[in-house]
Amino acid sequence: MARALPSTAAVPAAAAVRPRRRVRRGLFADYLFLLPALLFIAVTMLYPVWTNLRMSLHDVTVMTFLRDNAPFVGLQNYRDLLADPVFHKALGLSLIFTAGSLAFQFGIGFALALFFNRPFPGNTTLRALLLLAWLLPTVVSGSLFRWMLDGDFGVVNYALVSLGLLDDGRYWLIEPGTALAGTVLANVWVGIPFNMALLLAGLQGIPHTLYEAASVDGATGWQRFRSLTLPLMRPVSLSVLLLGLIYTFKVFDLIYIMTGGGPVDATTVLPIYTYKLTFSFFRFGDGAAAATLLLVGLVGVALLYLWAARREEAS
Amino acid sequence: MSTAVARFRREGYGSTLVGVLIVALFLFPVFWMVSTSLKAPADIFATPPDLIPSPPSAEAYREAVFGNPIVLRAMVSSVVVSLGTMLLTILLAAPAAYALARLELPGGPLVLLLLLITQLLPSIVMAGPLFVVFSRLGLVNSYQALILADTTITLPFAVIILRPFFLSVPKDLESAALVDGATRWRSFVQVTLPLVRPGLVTVAAFSFLFAWGEFVFALSLNTNEGIQPVTVALNKLIGQYGTQWNSLMAISTAVAVPIVAVFAGLQKFIVGGLTSGATKE
Repeated sequence: MARALPSTAAVPAAAAVRPRRRVRRGLFADYLFLLPALLFIAVTMLYPVWTNLRMSLHDVTVMTFLRDNAPFVGLQNYRDLLADPVFHKALGLSLIFTAGSLAFQFGIGFALALFFNRPFPGNTTLRALLLLAWLLPTVVSGSLFRWMLDGDFGVVNYALVSLGLLDDGRYWLIEPGTALAGTVLANVWVGIPFNMALLLAGLQGIPHTLYEAASVDGATGWQRFRSLTLPLMRPVSLSVLLLGLIYTFKVFDLIYIMTGGGPVDATTVLPIYTYKLTFSFFRFGDGAAAATLLLVGLVGVALLYLWAARREEAS
Repeated sequence: MSTAVARFRREGYGSTLVGVLIVALFLFPVFWMVSTSLKAPADIFATPPDLIPSPPSAEAYREAVFGNPIVLRAMVSSVVVSLGTMLLTILLAAPAAYALARLELPGGPLVLLLLLITQLLPSIVMAGPLFVVFSRLGLVNSYQALILADTTITLPFAVIILRPFFLSVPKDLESAALVDGATRWRSFVQVTLPLVRPGLVTVAAFSFLFAWGEFVFALSLNTNEGIQPVTVALNKLIGQYGTQWNSLMAISTAVAVPIVAVFAGLQKFIVGGLTSGATKE
């Protein structure tokens, strides 16, 4: 400690001699810490987004995409999309998939968070075990639900028939009427632990003294829940829902693995539609336009999220 | 007798019991995966299905996992891509998070906003243009392409997770090192970095877990079977194996094992990272 003292005293003196140059040189060196990450972001994220935007305005096909000489077509790709009934269907399916997933994973996640908010032996371990569903690679959970929802020997059919809820097994992922519901089921299973973890963090942030005061005033459990927990959980719930909206709207892999978008587009949500345009039909221009629309939608939700967060903070 | 019941109630063992039931019900799919993987081919089609395979058979593992060169090679690819992504992420994210936490750079907040926005980019939006960019660079069908692509997802997340860790390191420690004549870089590497080890472990674990399970880039940026990750291999085998669900579940279990191992070992870091990543901005 003592040895550091003389040099500390020397610093201001030296700085006073050439203040400007020192700052400049230090600043440049400091930016070097950030430079690699910024370069990486520029080359692998910003440039591709820019490429995407440009492709969406050009007629990019297998012939033209490598040579980068596709003709400029203005907004024609976007007009093509808006005229495509499959695009409209994909948008609708995306909304149903997202709304269905969010409703169940948030509802069940909230109930589980309330349950795990009470202290009891083994609480932490049990809670951590639930996260396993969220951590499994999507290919694994997707294949697993394909097997469980199998029409001939799936365990879901067996359970429903034995309970008397169904007379005959169904081909859940092969029938157009139920395929989307099957993917929602799998996505809800994956999403519940994530919702629970975030909501539980919110519940644990509510001061105990509030509940004690309410109990002293004679409030019942239900009253405490309605007039304390619910309003106090509003900001957290809002961010969990909006985050969930962003994550769910872009789900691609789970659906691709379970149904590949089929049967006959019955589960072709917007991300699957985008993928098919680019990698199955090689309509790179149209694919880029669809990707841009998807991105615009997500940025819109993100802005909504920031706006809501700011409003909650202000009030 | 009645005191035992009272003690049971007081300590909340009733809740524990309910909790165990909930977890068992919720994780039934995982149990079913392992159970199916240990069945002999004929037992998969038994009605009613056997909950526990009797007798258990390792045949599916012998044939579909250890006896299958495609799966084994894909496992190696996944290890390469996951470790590569983990290293690249830490190499890029640690100095950047440090700079954003400590150095009060003009434009710093803007970079932070940029990172938040890049977190929004869906893989499926990035896959098309990245394919074009990598084609021009001659990188399609290479480990590098997959590592670079996976890092686009892990990097923003890593910087956002790491920044608060750097913020919580006392400034005095570093000032002392700087005064003693160390350069910024040396004080960063020798003084600050060891103090944020928990943050680095969280980021390393998440990068590995993400890259191990990544599917979209692996599917769209690579057509070479020699380097295809195990996620893509599994998806292809679903078509190939048809109704041999014991084989498919054996491969699925094998793909899940590293995830479970990392999670079991680093649970504390992962649970903390999950909540902090999504709520702290």
